[in-house]
Amino acid sequence: MASLIKTHFKLARTSIKENRTRSFLTCLGIAIGVASIVLILSLMGGISNLVKSEISEIGSDLIVVRPSSTKDNITNIVEELTSANNFQKSNLTVSDVSEIAKIEGVSAAAPIAISTNTVTSEKNTFSSVPVLGTNLDFIKIEPLALKFGGFLNEQNEENAVVLGHTLSLALFNTINSTVGKTINIMGEKFMIVGVLDEVEKSINFDNIDFDNALIMDVKSLDKITGSTQIQQINVKAANTDSLAKISEDIRNSLVTQKLGDQNFSVSYGDAITHPASSLFTIVSGMLTLVAAISLVVGGIGIMNIMLVSVAERSHEIGVRKAVGASSRNILMQFLFEALILSILGGIFGLILGYVLAFIISTRTPFTPFISWEIVLLTFLTTLIVGIIFGIYPAVKAASKNPIDSLKHYR
Amino acid sequence: MSENILIELKGLTKRYGYGDTESFALKDFDLTIKRGEFIMIMGPSGCGKTTLLNIIGLLDRATKGEYILNGENVASISSRRQSRLRAKKIGFIFQNFNLIEDLPILENVALPLIYSGYSKTARLKNASSALKRFHLQEREYYLPYQLSGGQQQRVAIARAIVSDPEIILADEPTGNLDSRSSHVVMEELKAIHEEGNTIIMVTHNPALTVYATRVINMLDGQIDTDVKTVADQNLPQPISVKIKKKKDNFAALELPESKESRKSRRKNRRKK
Repeated sequence: MASLIKTHFKLARTSIKENRTRSFLTCLGIAIGVASIVLILSLMGGISNLVKSEISEIGSDLIVVRPSSTKDNITNIVEELTSANNFQKSNLTVSDVSEIAKIEGVSAAAPIAISTNTVTSEKNTFSSVPVLGTNLDFIKIEPLALKFGGFLNEQNEENAVVLGHTLSLALFNTINSTVGKTINIMGEKFMIVGVLDEVEKSINFDNIDFDNALIMDVKSLDKITGSTQIQQINVKAANTDSLAKISEDIRNSLVTQKLGDQNFSVSYGDAITHPASSLFTIVSGMLTLVAAISLVVGGIGIMNIMLVSVAERSHEIGVRKAVGASSRNILMQFLFEALILSILGGIFGLILGYVLAFIISTRTPFTPFISWEIVLLTFLTTLIVGIIFGIYPAVKAASKNPIDSLKHYR
Repeated sequence: MSENILIELKGLTKRYGYGDTESFALKDFDLTIKRGEFIMIMGPSGCGKTTLLNIIGLLDRATKGEYILNGENVASISSRRQSRLRAKKIGFIFQNFNLIEDLPILENVALPLIYSGYSKTARLKNASSALKRFHLQEREYYLPYQLSGGQQQRVAIARAIVSDPEIILADEPTGNLDSRSSHVVMEELKAIHEEGNTIIMVTHNPALTVYATRVINMLDGQIDTDVKTVADQNLPQPISVKIKKKKDNFAALELPESKESRKSRRKNRRKK
């Protein structure tokens, strides 16, 4: 049996080699389908890896409160995607933050409120600068490194700001001597107390690009903008064991405070990345579906070429049957050929997909990630495609009548 | 005696088409073939010779009737075992050689061994020695089209005997060959027969009947004449033949045949 499989393999190899161009084109059909799937999955894998690694850097003691419940259904996420600014409907308030801070086991709680404002320095004016309103606890939760100066403190919190690395460069053309200078936001003067160090990763669970952001106290932000929307409250637990209990306490406290309004979510651990990752899941799922269509097209290509091959090799089939090949032998021979074409295409596609992902990743902050699951998925998919689209031509070959087939001379 | 019976056909009928287009390739065909016979089947085109050969070779099934091969009714043999029997017990030789064009002749010869489960080395070794017997060993890696017709047919014969079958079925093996090549091919078949193989051969050429131990003339799907032409010393038992009709016009064939067969036998001996 093993010898027969080896023989089938060899026969298929010979036949594929003989029709090199044809086989290559057939493989290419599969390869393109596989490559697009691999590309999508590896990029998605890279992104979620990045977010996950950040969570683990911050530590496992983080609890995040977000407005609107993160339900696990598609409509919710699609709604989130399609609404122009989903943060507008936030129902979290500054007083919620102080309530949370009082809960036992909570060591720090910081709101995150973002608005975009025009910022004027002595040299330049920039519109649409993301301004992050938060409180003094923020630095306890986020391990942000400062290049110069310090973070907001109790003495200066009302009119002090911290600049992101890139923003500092943009406003003052320098990062060295920015500390101590003043900037103007909507008529209010603020003093720069610190400049952040360059942040390597631009994707994080706060959805803030710290390099370009300006950080100030949430109350000051409220004063200048009139209405602040708190998009997120980051909570640091005193110890990691009671995360479940603390988040339950936070939920209860908020529900009491908001008179039963449950339009928020409290999450910790891996669930923090949830909105982002379920979004990824849906987007990558849809893209994979589209890629799967091209795989089907590739599969049809295999079937087509196998049918041609069966017709061309009628005579050979007749001879093989006459000298003792059973229908099963013939079936296996042609099925093997289809499978090898398909798997070759899969391997080719895997490499192509990874190379493409790598090229794309040179322009993105994450590296493509190919897990063994992707490799296994690719292998299984191509195997299934090979069987599905190879079985019909193989059955056709196997059911040929040897006497009629022998009449097919070349 | 019964153990010497290799093939028994009883009331074999092969019908093509239905109703108005109905035609019979074989009609109530009875035949008993013993081990070691060299049977030549003759007759006009369309008299069912090839159909008979295909049915004996398990490539085709009869519409009606019994085919008992080695004491076993073929109808009860699974198609998978039939294939294995084709690989191990039956060797086919065709008029148009039927070699696979893309395979070197060594692999063509080794083909039946693939399906009887030999390892690759054993396959190539056996195929090589079969080719050596037909003086083609230096051409093992030639492709079929690079050989002459006679050489191709010798490759086909090598393929037919490579798995040491009991029955060789030859469908006009010399039909596409010139007389010189035909002669070589027939000598090879004769040598194979002398080793104890049963050969059933279809031919149009009456001159070739000199090699046979039995000549069957067919007409319209039935046996017209059935003549034992040479007493075969390999057969321990006298041949019992079911004869439907017998005509005496075969005496003419017996005369030149005996001379030639003696000549060819002498040639054979010299070769050896």
